[in-house]
Amino acid sequence: MDMELIQQIRDKARNLLEEGTVEGVIGYERASDGLTSRPFFAYDPSDTERLIFDETCAHNLVKYLLDKKSKKIAVVVKPCDSRAINLLLNEGQIERDKVFIIGVGCPGMVETNWNHKSETLQAKCRSCQLSKPLVYDFLAGGELERQAEEETYSDIMEAEAKSVATRREFWLEQFGRCIRCYACRQVCPGCYCPVCFAERLEPLWVGIRIAPEENDLWQTIRAFHLAGRCIGCNECERVCPVGIPLSLLNRKLEKDVKELFAFQAGLDPEEPPPFATFKKEEILEFEK
Amino acid sequence: MKSEYQPKVIGFLCNWCSYAGADMAGTSRMRYPQNIRIIRVPCSGRVDPLFVVKCFQRGADGVLVSGCHPGDCHYTEGNYYTRRRFALLREFLDYLGIAKERMRVEWVSASEGQKFADLLSDFTMELVRLGARSKI
Repeated sequence: MDMELIQQIRDKARNLLEEGTVEGVIGYERASDGLTSRPFFAYDPSDTERLIFDETCAHNLVKYLLDKKSKKIAVVVKPCDSRAINLLLNEGQIERDKVFIIGVGCPGMVETNWNHKSETLQAKCRSCQLSKPLVYDFLAGGELERQAEEETYSDIMEAEAKSVATRREFWLEQFGRCIRCYACRQVCPGCYCPVCFAERLEPLWVGIRIAPEENDLWQTIRAFHLAGRCIGCNECERVCPVGIPLSLLNRKLEKDVKELFAFQAGLDPEEPPPFATFKKEEILEFEK
Repeated sequence: MKSEYQPKVIGFLCNWCSYAGADMAGTSRMRYPQNIRIIRVPCSGRVDPLFVVKCFQRGADGVLVSGCHPGDCHYTEGNYYTRRRFALLREFLDYLGIAKERMRVEWVSASEGQKFADLLSDFTMELVRLGARSKI
């Protein structure tokens, strides 16, 4: 643990709460297994001593801002999470002056489980190109040098090279395991519809029974609703209790959106997302 | 066309061009395969990708989304959004194992009855060639 970095976060949080600049600070604290971490909401200056930051703080805390819209809140934000801030600003979901962003340079997050911390970096961190958050009000710990691999989408291309039937089989097996707990939706900063299509009763888009074809519809549309919006924090995959490789869906869409519309979500709070705009002169694949 | 297997095609046609185009094919007594079930929508931009995925889930063999030619949309720009959305959805469904040939996006104007008839013959033939979709 980088105690200097943690002290900076604590001091800043304490200052903000004491001055009354914010009503609360969203950060991380040690989980009760004494090893991993969990989200923590500090409302009193004395709470700030519980704040920590290390390589187990994978949670994307930006999601919580959606529940705290009426208050001015400070939030601890990693470089990847900062793209979620841009996304929500872009979509008019949060107001910039109601959020105080405590940015942190990030060494990359490791794979964790309850009471278990591995040494392996998460896949998304291995190819992360961001050395600091894209947007912040205060940067704790300064910018970090990062040795990132290039994102080559090799696993996606491998899947694309297989036959349609093989892919169908693969995904039906994956979706067949889905228990539709909707954890992927709950954790996603881009999923904030007041009524999700999956819970609509009239019309009943997704049937209530947990069956492969209903799961298939849910998974397909969940991923597609995030096309050009997914910021790649990969929280959905991390929280999936049955281990469906959701990054294979999200990154496929990310790759195609890059190729078709030269767009990447969350990099710019102003640039309109690909489905909210168009170019009259563009010719897309099916028209050729 | 004689074939044991009759694919089921769902067509989302925009009210202003393609639906009128299909009407034109009908009133001109053009022959085309009867595999299509037409759903009239106010604009091709009304077609939510969810509709298409739902069609496939409920056993459609092919889905057609058809609207005015780019630039001719009754609502000026609806079909530009359609174009972007379905260009990506086709790729994505293909990735999930529903061949992209099963989903078509076509621009048919109100006067293009012949184009509509030809398009359906072609599409149906293609679907017969691909065969029935495997049941879940």
